[in-house]
Amino acid sequence: MVTDFLKTCCADPMKLIGEWFVILPALVLLLAAAAAVVMRNLIHAALLLTLSFIALGIVFIALGAEFVGFVQLLVYVGAVAMVIVFSILLTKPDQLTKSRNLLSGFAPAAGVAVAFTALAALLGFIFSSPLAKKPMPAPASAPVAAIGEALMGDYVIALIVLGILLTAALVGAAVIAMEDKP
Amino acid sequence: MTLQILLAISAILFAFGLAAALSRSNAIMIVIGIELMLGAANLNFIAFWRFSENPSDLAGILFVIFSIGVAAAEAAVGLAIIILVHRRIRSVEVDDASNLKG
Repeated sequence: MVTDFLKTCCADPMKLIGEWFVILPALVLLLAAAAAVVMRNLIHAALLLTLSFIALGIVFIALGAEFVGFVQLLVYVGAVAMVIVFSILLTKPDQLTKSRNLLSGFAPAAGVAVAFTALAALLGFIFSSPLAKKPMPAPASAPVAAIGEALMGDYVIALIVLGILLTAALVGAAVIAMEDKP
Repeated sequence: MTLQILLAISAILFAFGLAAALSRSNAIMIVIGIELMLGAANLNFIAFWRFSENPSDLAGILFVIFSIGVAAAEAAVGLAIIILVHRRIRSVEVDDASNLKG
């Protein structure tokens, strides 16, 4: 019986390991995201959000999108999480108990109800769709050279627009957060 | 593994983000919820690219790269607005920012 299990399980060890490389980080991702959502302390929420971003990057890498995974780690863990932590420190939330939490009153409970209704609808569509029953195709990869050629070729307009957007957002964020002149 | 598992993970992550964005009254928690929803959308793009017939078509990958860039811009502007609101009303609770309420 054990040998049977080992035979079915280890016949294709790379495949098994490959699946767990997706499932385990995905579980970490969901647990960290759930904890971040219900956490009262903002710093804890931000750190759990960082953990979920790391797990999401590992999921991307395990699915074969290495470049996107590393971009996710650099941009989200390196920049967005740090900006969130900085804004928590700059705004000094000293009235933690006043903050409305999940399920404390009518409006938050309604928000959670809307979210779970949306989740039920999405899961219903996902598990009734024939498209979703496809087995996983052979491992795919997105070579960085091909991504670079696509970015500089077909998608160059979008890349330039994104650059302008990021510049405008940087300048705009600095102007918005600037101290008013006396 | 089938596409269903990845889509279900993405849907659950989206629901968590939606719950945070709708229910929490702290503006920073709303930004965190929006970031979680964007991550769920990106996971969907990567999942459909992974299961596509033609993985050499990089549209899914490129869309996620642009989406991450837009999310970074959105987080920077959103948090700058939160810092400005905090300077004006000394609070980051969205319930307190009621100056325009009739």
